[in-house]
Amino acid sequence: MSNLNYRLQEFKTTFESGAPPYNASPEVVAVMHRATAELKASGIEGRALRVGDHAPAFALFNQDHVEVSSKDLLRKAPIVVSVFRGHW
Amino acid sequence: MELEALKEIDSEVRALGAQIVVLTPELERYTRALHRKLNLPFDILTDLHLKTAEQFRLVFTFPDYLRELYQSFGSTLDRFHDESEYRLPIPARYIVDSNSLIRAADVNADYTIRPEPSETLRLLKEILQTGTSPHGNQRSSTGEDDRR
Repeated sequence: MSNLNYRLQEFKTTFESGAPPYNASPEVVAVMHRATAELKASGIEGRALRVGDHAPAFALFNQDHVEVSSKDLLRKAPIVVSVFRGHW
Repeated sequence: MELEALKEIDSEVRALGAQIVVLTPELERYTRALHRKLNLPFDILTDLHLKTAEQFRLVFTFPDYLRELYQSFGSTLDRFHDESEYRLPIPARYIVDSNSLIRAADVNADYTIRPEPSETLRLLKEILQTGTSPHGNQRSSTGEDDRR
């Protein structure tokens, strides 16, 4: 079984050590830590939809420019909806 | 890394009669490239201008100092997302049932921590077995429920 967070923490440790190819400076690492701490303190986690709420309906384009709606998806429910920042 | 980890549980999720879908603010030309590169068995949907992430209440705006840092890295969100305001969703994973009801939720403002796919699979099985009692896992860095 995968252990995603183990891999993520390994990456984080490498990144924050300043090792190549990222060569992150201590200043950069400090800025990123500050941003995460501020975001956590903003209470955004507590405002997000939670168990018992209704998920919003959507109709969005997939990678092949085919429109996929939540209504279509829910025919094969339950669905796992993962929200991802981006590839970069 | 997260998408590859989800790919690893995809066949088990399908075997349970469920499915995975990924939402991202990235434009289709980037989701297309990423989807091909990782050879993903599930769709990546472009949530243009974060309209759906807003409804899940996951969206935040970068402070100026963070925008400048990302720009110095070449991570220009205005290009990837057509998002001049530099907004992003916090990472989240939900399990939604056929009534559109959220049955499991895992959100974290710390983007270096993601919901573990094995935990998603476990919750999915539990939800399918019981059919009742919803589950939540709203994590803080301490693992405690800090939502109420």
